Amino acid sequence: MNFELDEILIERASRDSALARRVVCALGDRVPVIEVDEAREATRPRRGDRDPFGAGKRRMVIARRSSPFLMACPAGSSRFACCGYLVLTLASNCPMDCSYCFLQEYLAGNPAFQVFSNYADALDEVDRMIANSPGRSFRVGTGELADSLAFDSITATSHDLVEHFSARPNLTLELKTKTDEITNLLALDPRGRVLVSWTLSPDAVFRSSEHRAASPGARIAAARQALDAGYRIAFHFDPIIAYPDAERDYSTLIDELLDSIPAKDISFVSMGGLRMTPALKSAARRRHADDAMLCGEDVLAPDGRYRTFTPRRLRIYREVAAKLKKAGANIPAYLCMEASSVHEKVFGAIPPRPATIGQRLATT
Amino acid sequence: MTTHVTDNAIRALATEKRLPDANLERWLAMDSGSRAALLDLARTLKFRTGQLATAMDLLDEIAVREKSSIVKILGDARARAIADGRGSAPDRARAMLDYLRAIRFPELGRARAALEADIAKLHLPRGAAMALPRELASDEVTITLRFRNARDFDWMLARLNEAKPGIAAILDRLGGKE
Repeated sequence: MNFELDEILIERASRDSALARRVVCALGDRVPVIEVDEAREATRPRRGDRDPFGAGKRRMVIARRSSPFLMACPAGSSRFACCGYLVLTLASNCPMDCSYCFLQEYLAGNPAFQVFSNYADALDEVDRMIANSPGRSFRVGTGELADSLAFDSITATSHDLVEHFSARPNLTLELKTKTDEITNLLALDPRGRVLVSWTLSPDAVFRSSEHRAASPGARIAAARQALDAGYRIAFHFDPIIAYPDAERDYSTLIDELLDSIPAKDISFVSMGGLRMTPALKSAARRRHADDAMLCGEDVLAPDGRYRTFTPRRLRIYREVAAKLKKAGANIPAYLCMEASSVHEKVFGAIPPRPATIGQRLATT
Repeated sequence: MTTHVTDNAIRALATEKRLPDANLERWLAMDSGSRAALLDLARTLKFRTGQLATAMDLLDEIAVREKSSIVKILGDARARAIADGRGSAPDRARAMLDYLRAIRFPELGRARAALEADIAKLHLPRGAAMALPRELASDEVTITLRFRNARDFDWMLARLNEAKPGIAAILDRLGGKE
């Protein structure tokens, strides 16, 4: 991953952390390192920046996290059938710059690229959770407010995470990424308890919207390597963007995927149509004014988000689901941020409760 | 009109209409031909503030989708015919926004027309109506029944029951089934 950092700010309390040392060792000769008493101000948008969110991506802040690391997926809502995903926030923001990314709205007030030095505390939180829920399995991911692997060559947090999760039988760690940064993972033994998942989009979406991400082909090749190294793998077709020829391109993408990875080796697939709150749409259009992928036939849905009008959106879901079904192996699939009625139309059955689906995805 | 004069006229109109600053900024950031074409349209059709902002959003997104420019979109014969046609300015303003929505959302327009044709084929009884979700933004339809006594209600339910296969087909189509 080609980082474009302008500066690294390290909060004094994190100066001697292992993470800060690793980052300084990897980048200190190329990027100015500044020590600050308190990092909060550095995380905020800076006056005078034409694109505060984009500038935030180039300002790495290493600090302790005082809020809990573990939380339910913020996309969850009683309106939607959810997948029971749990999120560990080890970092916030991402060096890639996808035009549709929800972080443009979610992190507008603190856009700096934050990496939390006390991430070992997150592992304690996970241990407390499993101690309180004997017999249950959990899928815990780190790829919600940041890409799980985009900065792993610098922070090497994957080592501690994989070691921790691979020793706990009722946990699955999901590392979600749009990169091919798997070098560190290949040296570790996941013992079947670590899942690496890739967001996949057709080439047209990658070229138009997924700036600084690895190409779809490179992501699939990385997935093959991860599979061979003993990792479980999964794919997220999310966001699915309904541009002209989308059905054809998603079909081609699935062919390319299945040429490299047998359907039986895919733990699960998720799908989610592009959805944008009005504020996100406005921010995304302002930052990526020429991206036609942001100007699909999106209408304001009852949940207050712009989504592709229903028949078109559901037609693509149905086609992707049918294509995967045809591949055999009965790949588990779910929809992200869609109502139960949509699941029923696409898959022919009402989805299970989040805890049940979470348990199932944790153990597939 | 020189660019300077056009920009001053845009600022004056924006002040008069109390157009939000963000919209004014976007307007002034357009290429000079598009800036002037939108100004001409806004004056000719006497757009209200909301209409002007909507037109700007639609034109902006059409230009991105079709890799075109606003001046070209507004120079199209159909757009000119609406702008320069007969009828009151408010009527032509509404017609222009409908036209822009149709080219901004072509597939949505076709899908809605097909579903409306399917609803017409149901031949629902008088007093019964089936409405599609606004902008096909959900998978939920609304059926309303107007009746005055239990006998009419029973009769309507019986007709609706007869129409059930057609209603199911509409729900399937709304749910993306070809």
